[in-house]
Amino acid sequence: MADIRLANVSKRFGAVTVLENVSMEIESGEFIVFLGPSGCGKSTLLRMIAGLEAVDGGQIHIGDQRVDHLPPSQRGVAMVFQNYALYPHMTVTQNMSFGLRNIGMPAQEIAQRVADAARILEIEQLMDRRPAQLSGGQRQRVAIGRAIVREPKAFLLDEPLSNLDAGLRVRTRVELAHLHQRLRTTMIFVTHDQIEAMTLADRIVVMNNRKVEQIGTPMDVYSRPASRFVAAFVGSPSMNFLPVAGITDVGGRARVELAGAAAIQTGIPTRELPAGNGLTFGVRPEAVRVAIEGKGMLEGTTDIVERLGDRTLAHVRLADGTVLVAEDAGKSTLQAGMPVSLTVDGTATHLFDVNEAAYHAAA
Amino acid sequence: MSADAIPSSQAMTAEPSRRDRSLDLVGIVLSIVTLVAALASFFPIYWAIITSIKPDGEVISGSNTLWPNRITFDSYIHIWNNTNIAIWYVNSMVTSLIITAAVIVSSAGCAYALSQLDFPGRRLIYMLILACFMVPMQALIVNHFVLMAQFKLLNTWAGIILPQLIVPVVIIVYKQFFDSVPKEFREAAMMDAAGHFKILFRVYLPMNWGVTAALAIITFIGAWNAFLWPFLAATGEATMTVPVGITQVKDAYGIVYGKLMASAVVAGLPVAIVYLIFQRRVTQAIMLSAGVKG
Ligand SMILES: Nc1ncnc2c1ncn2[C@@H]1O[C@H](COP(=O)(O)OP(=O)(O)O)[C@@H](O)[C@H]1O
Ligand SMILES: [Mg+2]
Repeated sequence: MADIRLANVSKRFGAVTVLENVSMEIESGEFIVFLGPSGCGKSTLLRMIAGLEAVDGGQIHIGDQRVDHLPPSQRGVAMVFQNYALYPHMTVTQNMSFGLRNIGMPAQEIAQRVADAARILEIEQLMDRRPAQLSGGQRQRVAIGRAIVREPKAFLLDEPLSNLDAGLRVRTRVELAHLHQRLRTTMIFVTHDQIEAMTLADRIVVMNNRKVEQIGTPMDVYSRPASRFVAAFVGSPSMNFLPVAGITDVGGRARVELAGAAAIQTGIPTRELPAGNGLTFGVRPEAVRVAIEGKGMLEGTTDIVERLGDRTLAHVRLADGTVLVAEDAGKSTLQAGMPVSLTVDGTATHLFDVNEAAYHAAA
Repeated sequence: MSADAIPSSQAMTAEPSRRDRSLDLVGIVLSIVTLVAALASFFPIYWAIITSIKPDGEVISGSNTLWPNRITFDSYIHIWNNTNIAIWYVNSMVTSLIITAAVIVSSAGCAYALSQLDFPGRRLIYMLILACFMVPMQALIVNHFVLMAQFKLLNTWAGIILPQLIVPVVIIVYKQFFDSVPKEFREAAMMDAAGHFKILFRVYLPMNWGVTAALAIITFIGAWNAFLWPFLAATGEATMTVPVGITQVKDAYGIVYGKLMASAVVAGLPVAIVYLIFQRRVTQAIMLSAGVKG
């Protein structure tokens, strides 16, 4: 096990820069998730750590060894590919032992490691089959098994769940969490699915547009997003964003006036805010509650009602035409077209400036 | 069957029944054409076989019957006893097998490099190979002859083999195969500490032996049937291959059709056997190389 350090790592494909000065420190044993929209460079970054892409600038260290000029097999990391890339002509056993045989490991030790991994992953009865004879979920286990037998310093997983159907994806997610608890090996997991990221990660690296937007624990990223991008990308349903008409200071905290509606007292320190206009107000649907009529801070009309069972989402059109998603109880009696009052939890609000930087209530 | 079960592409064409019937008509016509073509192709082979089992007198009499009046294997016994056909067979077998093995290994290696490695000039080299593909061997035959003469390799196995190692189509088909393999397989193998040779011989080729089998078969058949170059390179009976050797049958005995046909049948036998055993692979091979030409 070892920590992984990236210092100012950059990557260009021809004239296109896909990663620029990416730095991070990953602690030994951590479960790290690279999260971001498709095409933001997550896979590229992972492949650079694996040694499958050359590094155009910066350094990568694994443990106390600088690895960015080493071939993939000498970095001590194992990779699980999105399409698994199991060798189609080899049995499961052969697939798992291929890499160990290539490094000249004694046959007895190979057999031992393969057997151990097979037991952990519960694929013992599949060992003589070829990949074509396995289901998607079984292939996925074999791909993980092929990584486990190497006893790597870190596992690199590129969207390993994306080829599974919904139910299996959730089960495999839980198993992966168990596997990490059991092995305690560093894992770097790439996904564009924020639920996978939230549920699995010790820390999430949110990426967008050539750079890292935020590195933090799931709750950090969720409740104190570093930028408007992170706020919008993490969380489902997405955060509400409303234009700010004006800010007044009430006891050091900002009171936000929304266009054509009431003002909302936030916990955000006024002195941290930049001067000038262009601020955007952000609040997650869970912090906007449906109130008894006339008792709320905001008034509007229900546009659409989404019943999720445990809760109900109401898309509410405010007087100025902006739409806000609010939450109500599962047994909500709301109907589309009904007038509705909303209360906003001021402590769970955010402001974003024109550069998309975020401001939160004092911790 | 319910209407839902009909695939949308068919469901969209109106009146499928009429379409089926017109297809049937086309099918019958095509079948007849194919049958006629097959008979036309088969007839010379049939004629060679029955001629080879007719007694000499019956062949010369010009009766031209479709079935021998008397079946005899005299022609076969004669060529076995009076020609070097056993030696020609050995020559053909050795040169064809070596050509096949060498072409497969070198072409696979060459195609792997062109497909998977990044080195300066690789596009140019590929263009040159494609260009070679367009030059028929006949156009180079004088150069080959002069070269082999200078190397003092005429009338040797090596002299017969070397010019026949140029089979660009095998490189091209292999390159297309390697190009089509998802790059994750190579990357997984790299993570598994496999070098290029291991990736080629332990991952890429075994992934689809069908390609190699098909290419080996067309190379073998091509080498076995090769006439022009072995005819020039092997002037002594000791190094002749079967197709070259059977021309000697005529020279030694005048025009003796029965014996000529017997040696032709014997010459064609290995190809026929290979074809019958690997029929599907041969078809696949022809389609693979046709894909290149198309
Ligand atoms: N081999 C390549 N050549 C050129 N561009 C590439 C290559 N690989 C990836 N890219 C580009 O780099 C960007 C990041 O790709 P990738 O890391 O695969 O994104 P992600 O995994 O986050 O979806 C994309 O815009 C993609 O088009
Ligand atoms: Mg990706």
